[in-house]
Amino acid sequence: MTRKLIQGNEAVFHGAVAAGANYYAGYPISPSTEILNIASAYAAAHHREFRFLQAEDEIASANAIIGASLAGAKSFTATSGPGFSLMQEAVGYAQKVGVPTVFVDVQRVGPATGMPTMPGQGDILQVKYGSSGDYTPLAFYPNGIEEAFRVTVQAFNAAEESRSPVVVLADTFVGHLNEVVDLDELASGIEVVERTIPALARHEPGSPRFFAGVLMYESGPSAGEPATADGDEYLRQFYAAKHRHLEVAKRYPLYEHGWNRDAEILVICYGIVSRVASPLAADYALFRPIRIHPVLGDELREVSARYREIVVLEANDGQYADMVELAIRRPVKRVPLLGGRISIEAVRDGLDRVLSGGPSEPPIPPAPTERVAPSPLGIG
Amino acid sequence: MPELIMAELNYKRHLKVDLFPTIWCPGCGIGSIMMQLAMVLEEMGLDETNTVIVTGIGCTGRMGSYLKHESVYTLHGRTLPVAEAIKTFRPELNVIVVSGDGDLASIGGNHLVHTIRRNAHLTVLCNNNEIYGLTGGQTGPTTPTGTKTLSSPIGNPNTPINLQGIVRSSPHALYAKTTVYHQQHMRTVIREAVEHDGFSFVDITSQCIENNGRRIGFASANEMLTHYRKTYKRAPKGAQTLNPFEIGILYPADGAASEGEAGDGNGAAPKAAAPAAPAKTVPPAVPAKTVPPADDDQKARRRAESQKRLALMQKLDPAVKLRVAKGEISLADALREAGVDPAELEG
Repeated sequence: MTRKLIQGNEAVFHGAVAAGANYYAGYPISPSTEILNIASAYAAAHHREFRFLQAEDEIASANAIIGASLAGAKSFTATSGPGFSLMQEAVGYAQKVGVPTVFVDVQRVGPATGMPTMPGQGDILQVKYGSSGDYTPLAFYPNGIEEAFRVTVQAFNAAEESRSPVVVLADTFVGHLNEVVDLDELASGIEVVERTIPALARHEPGSPRFFAGVLMYESGPSAGEPATADGDEYLRQFYAAKHRHLEVAKRYPLYEHGWNRDAEILVICYGIVSRVASPLAADYALFRPIRIHPVLGDELREVSARYREIVVLEANDGQYADMVELAIRRPVKRVPLLGGRISIEAVRDGLDRVLSGGPSEPPIPPAPTERVAPSPLGIG
Repeated sequence: MPELIMAELNYKRHLKVDLFPTIWCPGCGIGSIMMQLAMVLEEMGLDETNTVIVTGIGCTGRMGSYLKHESVYTLHGRTLPVAEAIKTFRPELNVIVVSGDGDLASIGGNHLVHTIRRNAHLTVLCNNNEIYGLTGGQTGPTTPTGTKTLSSPIGNPNTPINLQGIVRSSPHALYAKTTVYHQQHMRTVIREAVEHDGFSFVDITSQCIENNGRRIGFASANEMLTHYRKTYKRAPKGAQTLNPFEIGILYPADGAASEGEAGDGNGAAPKAAAPAAPAKTVPPAVPAKTVPPADDDQKARRRAESQKRLALMQKLDPAVKLRVAKGEISLADALREAGVDPAELEG
């Protein structure tokens, strides 16, 4: 019975190890750096079973976890928004080639360097559209420590089942929130999906494989040759991957329909916002997606039909709200919680504003007339 | 030595010959690299069960699809992070990276610096054709100053990157310089690079006639190879640096000379490999720069001359043409014999 006070980042790491992770490559970036630090300490203590690399940048990290996975490892990396942006080409490569691996994105306020220590949720659509071309990503977003552990295990399993990179989303709050958990209890009873594709050089001798980002014939008489002008081959591969990913996603219909389910108004929120907004539980119903991608279309349609009003609260400019509207074909109200200002007051102000017919855009505060003393904690 | 003879006979079993002819242009240097690599793999007993090939983007990257090995065709510039991770997780594998100068030293430059710094046990073969060939012929990181390319129409303003310097910044890395003309030397250095117990980089000057050479005044791949023969010389024994246009191997400063299955660690391979083309005479001193780019007048004149030659050659029968091509008889004599006035050559 190992009860321990741990933070979300640590729970993610333990979940990865419980799922069989044995390779980590990463780069320090707030608010995910603890995962790198913990991984390096773990690797030092378990150097035979767990390999670690602090790479020169996020691009190297993302490509390294791909190489390690092809070599047979269960690999992962952790980063934040700007680092995830650097990794997008590699995400696309892993999608195209079919490489099981896990990307952890502990979000902060962007874009660019943004507000490194303030929580944000601005990467929701970057996960879906960040790499060039069409692909069907899977992504999960926990809102607590135990959930972070479990969801990370599920991400590794989904990666093996879909043969693709799966994203674990989090935010500064979830990453740094500390809760007491029983690690042994968490680790017991989880199911781990094992790798089925042979690792590099462990294939059937006589038919060496060619893992390429470029479109290649995967089977048949032209196996291993480029198919760079064959639209038919593109269709075969694209839809096979899409269907496979959607099939796997169906096994993870992860969400919470809670708070006051009989209320008239449905609030949709996730991650940090769902924790901060919990005082609303008496008066509102909650739909909290844990699987962010593919969108929980059926579940959203079924749940939202019961409510006369839907408000999406999120720490971005309406990214999940857009997805909800597309899925349920019904307008939703939006409360953006930007700049790291995620508080119950901001939530209530926003709800009052939009539910009384006001704009989703908050009133713009006047510019300061005196120098703003820098806050050492970055907390406003 | 029997292993070498067998290698020369059996190297083709590493190649997917049923996919030949390759997609590379006639006259491309990459084919030579592939052939010598296949011979080294055969010599050393490396096959798909113990060796993984990692290739980059560019013409060179296509080599993976012709080798009967498990291979990874990475994103542009990212061969080294992928290869290093494979080697870290599976240290028993030989991991050989084959890529071009742009992929390794431009977009991949940052990874080059750090992979060397970490002394990843990789063998890197760099097809250094001083150009971005596949995209038509833009300046690359090793393109000499002043070269006219599609992205430097009035001449490359930049100094080429110092590959030797970057590799030699590590005391553990092996650096070798060779050219595709010097095939035996190339095979030798590739073997030493694979055997080296640390990071090794083979910088192979290679011709891209289609998207570089013909734009800078070479009429054929053969002319480029001849240029390499005349310009590149072996570095003196024990050299600690290679001067421009010198070929040779620089062993790591940490004293870990190449070790490997071949044994004595200080060049069993070069002793065993008979040099194919030792210079029989001391060649005349050559200017320390490449052939100056031809101006438009020169190019037009050369084009007209070669078209005239071609038209005249058509008048000869095939057996005579072959003798002219072999140099057994001059074109003028052959024309005379065929009853054509050789003065038309001058025209």
